[in-house]
Amino acid sequence: MTVSLVTSWLAQAPLPEELQEQITLDSAILTEQFYFYTVVVMWLIHVGFMAYEGGASRRKNVMSTAMKNILTIAVVTPTFYYFGWYIYGCFQEGWPQDGHGSPTVGNDLLVGFCQNTAPWSAQMGPNLGDHVSAVFFLAFLLFSWTTASIMSGALIERVRLSAFLILAAVLGSVVWIMDAAWGWSSGGWLVTKFGFHDSIASLVVHGVAGAFALGVLLNLGPRIGKYDFAGRARTFRAHNTHLTLMGLMLIFTGFYGFYAACLVIQSTIVPGWLNIYLSPATLGAIAFTITVGFAGGFTGGWFASKGDPFWTLSGGLAGVISVSAGADVYHPSLAYILATSGGMVAVWSGLWIERKLRVDDAVGAVAVHGVCGFYGVLLVGIFAGGFPTGVNNIPTSFGGQLMGMLAFFPLAFLPGYLASWVLKKFNLLRVPPEVELEGLDMAEFQADFFPEFERVPETIVLPTGEEVESAPVLLEAFAQINGHRAGEPVERR
Amino acid sequence: MIDSFPFDEWAEDIAGYWTFGPGNSTGTYVLTVLGIILMVASIVGWVVMENRKLAAQAALLRAAGGMPAPGGVPPGPGPSQPPFAGPSTDPGM
Repeated sequence: MTVSLVTSWLAQAPLPEELQEQITLDSAILTEQFYFYTVVVMWLIHVGFMAYEGGASRRKNVMSTAMKNILTIAVVTPTFYYFGWYIYGCFQEGWPQDGHGSPTVGNDLLVGFCQNTAPWSAQMGPNLGDHVSAVFFLAFLLFSWTTASIMSGALIERVRLSAFLILAAVLGSVVWIMDAAWGWSSGGWLVTKFGFHDSIASLVVHGVAGAFALGVLLNLGPRIGKYDFAGRARTFRAHNTHLTLMGLMLIFTGFYGFYAACLVIQSTIVPGWLNIYLSPATLGAIAFTITVGFAGGFTGGWFASKGDPFWTLSGGLAGVISVSAGADVYHPSLAYILATSGGMVAVWSGLWIERKLRVDDAVGAVAVHGVCGFYGVLLVGIFAGGFPTGVNNIPTSFGGQLMGMLAFFPLAFLPGYLASWVLKKFNLLRVPPEVELEGLDMAEFQADFFPEFERVPETIVLPTGEEVESAPVLLEAFAQINGHRAGEPVERR
Repeated sequence: MIDSFPFDEWAEDIAGYWTFGPGNSTGTYVLTVLGIILMVASIVGWVVMENRKLAAQAALLRAAGGMPAPGGVPPGPGPSQPPFAGPSTDPGM
């Protein structure tokens, strides 16, 4: 029976049309698998962020910090599904020129992309005829989670969970995706008119997240005791620096998935890899860049911070962010040099933000992501000027990059500032100061999450470098803020 | 054998089945609205429930008298220990 089956198969040689159909289907399924696995790898970014922030917090805040970070997923997923993706599909030209027929420029495949992004459209659910739309949406969803998570670390130990979730929805499902529509799509107006080039989202994700976080931090204010009466910064010790560094390593691993998901591939439609602007690229080129970017970033971070572990590894991330905008075009040697400078820029700007601006960014997110995101886009204007970008092949230029920076800073900063200002006005931004002093875990969970570890007095590092017990320092700081001494009735701020 | 597998036929049968209708159908619109309601209700719920929890904890701390000692150590007599020595995370620039 087997022989007769084989014989009958051999007698029926497939026609060229049948073969073409099968190859097209295989190509679509391969694309589907590719984006699916980038999503899986990108989950590691969120494992990493949860560990990174949990470790950076003080012991009394560890679980509320971790939960706050991971609940980003719970709120950004539905908001991105219901309106975030629609923004990306429909606002590439600034305002839809043709309703659901937008965008009207760009590659033929993507003209009219808007109608496919509405939550009730056939592409936004199970669709037997479409192998690509769902996984492409999911890759962008992971980018949204990442953008919101970047803000998360800056706000730890005093922001309310609910306030953070609202801000995460605004950043992850409105602000970043609007800037992606404008500057990270083949039909985006910054790309088609100015040749804006940010291939792996230095500014589009990281810069924007940092600028948004800065707007929030200005309203949120520093942790109690962060600054002394003279405005000098004290340092809160991370309760588990090992966990923080392990978290960063997980973020770096997930970042390879992020890089890969920024490329476009479907072999029966285009003969090779494309970047997000639909210009030819290779996976190898960006893999080179991210890898030497880590090396350069670690180097720059180490030297600038004199070997501080936290800043050395953060420097690695800063280095990669600094070269992400030109990851598809930089020579590895150039990427190495630029990433080294990025690692240094992150450390210096982080210290400047903490000490001169007196903004308490608990993990240096504004420096690492915000500053280096803008820096990365500027570097493309300097070192990759003239590179044809997008379907119109507009040359990348310093002016075009500057245009992007000028468009994105207010787009990111103002909503962060305004949204947090509104929350503050309703007294919904920050936890009560008594709760902040005692620790958020007690309020949220009525538990200490190190039950078998002896509880010892918390310490704090003074501007002089001396490490002392924190209780008197923080109580004094609280008294200064609230105009009373310990033991007196407390007014809510 | 591959040609005889009724993929297209079965695909056609189930195309309109997906939980209350395919894309752009009434069922999908209703599901979308329900999902949005759940999303908004969750966010409101987070705000309200957290506010209650934090207000209750703050009131408890104020009623207990004095201020809580930072670090979750309950106020009152207890063994004090010398501050830990060791390097800070400050790069010292």
